[in-house]
Amino acid sequence: MTGDVTSGMTAGKRARAGDVATYALLALLTAFFLAPFVWLLSLSLRTSTEVFLGASRLIPDVPTLGNFERILSDPAFLTYLWNGLKLSVMGGGLAVALAIPAAYAFSRLRWRGMDALLIAILAVQMISPLVILVPLYRWLSALDLLNTHLTVIAVYGALGMPLAVWLLKVAFDAIPVEIEEAAFVDGASRWIVLTRLTLPLARPGIASAFILAMVMNWSQFLVPFILLERDGDWPVSVAIFNFAGSISASTTQLLAAACLVALIPAVTVFVLLQRMIVSALIAGAVKG
Amino acid sequence: MRSSKPASVQIRRRDRALPWLAPALLMLAVFYAVPVLDVFRLAFSDATLVRAPTAYSLETFSDVLTNAVLPEILLTTLIFTGLSVVVLQLVGLMIALLLVRGERRGLHGMAAFRTLVLAAWVVPGIANGLIWQMLFDEAPYGTLNSLLGFVGVGPVAWLSDPVMAMVSAIIANVWQGTAFSMVVFYAARRAINPTLYEVASVDGANAWEAFWAITVPQLRLAIAANTILVSVQTLNTFDSILALTGGGPGRATEVLALFTFNTVFYNLDLAGGSVLALILFALGLAFATLIFGWLRREAA
Repeated sequence: MTGDVTSGMTAGKRARAGDVATYALLALLTAFFLAPFVWLLSLSLRTSTEVFLGASRLIPDVPTLGNFERILSDPAFLTYLWNGLKLSVMGGGLAVALAIPAAYAFSRLRWRGMDALLIAILAVQMISPLVILVPLYRWLSALDLLNTHLTVIAVYGALGMPLAVWLLKVAFDAIPVEIEEAAFVDGASRWIVLTRLTLPLARPGIASAFILAMVMNWSQFLVPFILLERDGDWPVSVAIFNFAGSISASTTQLLAAACLVALIPAVTVFVLLQRMIVSALIAGAVKG
Repeated sequence: MRSSKPASVQIRRRDRALPWLAPALLMLAVFYAVPVLDVFRLAFSDATLVRAPTAYSLETFSDVLTNAVLPEILLTTLIFTGLSVVVLQLVGLMIALLLVRGERRGLHGMAAFRTLVLAAWVVPGIANGLIWQMLFDEAPYGTLNSLLGFVGVGPVAWLSDPVMAMVSAIIANVWQGTAFSMVVFYAARRAINPTLYEVASVDGANAWEAFWAITVPQLRLAIAANTILVSVQTLNTFDSILALTGGGPGRATEVLALFTFNTVFYNLDLAGGSVLALILFALGLAFATLIFGWLRREAA
């Protein structure tokens, strides 16, 4: 931009050439990132005959919604969707509920060992759920806590909490302390200030943390796969894995439809709210 | 960063932090600290998934470490993680810089493109593996092979050739994981003071020179931090590989996380799986410590 001023036409031309190059690269990248979605949609709209015709039927001659009809009229599949929704929402809610008081303490109180604990909370995110589930499975089995959604929700709460603490701390940091001070002068307790004043102001941050946790839970495979043994308890991520193992090539279009249904809720929520979530993530990334 | 806090609030209200932290600490203890300690215990035992430990020894440790399969698994893990981390960050950085440039020039479609990359990020790992399995389908009607057929190339053994299976697994991982690096680099790039670029431009530096003289040095810390995060994430990734190749052909794409999963939950070898889980844990920790140490030296 400044180049335009200093060296006139050539810089302007160079910038426009740069725009063309930018678009060319973006077009290539778009093809890569879009292709799997397009192909999945294409397969899910085909009849089995057209599945065998490969890429020549990218746009099916006889498109059908029959695959979706079959998937969505299966009561078992609806149960998987419901289970997935229930576990994701409640697990995300738990993660945020646990994170709020901790993040508030990190943001507003000054105490010894604070920085060390904040780093520890970030560091535990690096531990693979697999490492945790190996011993956890045995205990939960001994305590007869397998095969219950509450256990999965508790584990989701623990897995989602660290990121939520971080995002909420950043959100609280952005709220001026002076606003709270005024309330303290009026004699309000910290709890009142938090619930009446700070939390409403931190709504975008809280929503972002909740949605991120929820979307991650929706994607979780390992935790429900290990902790839930009964078919009727499974969320959709486990169900499509099992479904994929049981189908033949002639039902690829059904699997495609099932995959699409499984990813649509997460992608839709994320796309609709991405502006808010991305700015929360960017705020977190800058501070980190 | 925390300097905006007036001391008066601290002094007047001597709140104790512990009650605020109790729920989070309890969760950390129950779901992180204790399981990790228990993994250590189990690693020295003879426990299986269906039988409690009966004796403690170093036997499991030496069995796992001398298992002829382990070097192969570790090499696979190294290749998968190493290449993924490099490609993820290069693509993520390229996209971030393109987005920043596009936004500065007022080009259209930047938000839509960012949304597309983020959409791939939230696809469940299992679905990611299944989608790419359809794309890589080696039958004549498989997506990529039927496309290649149009131009008279192929068919490519995307999933049945050991080398191609690894390439395919990395492609699927890059498709899904790039968004994370994109967000980190996008944030870091926008935090660079624009004056630096203006000065460089006045000095006659072209875009390429400015990239190496300003962007790369300024992003150094972001790159280091992102390398830790992406490496550990990739090291722990296995659901997409499980759905895509199942670790095959043979063990060609069986990374350490998948091998651990199979050992515990298919072979029911809890003790052996605990040793592997410890290796997984130690690798992530060692790597994080290494780069974190470098980061602190740089920041100091």
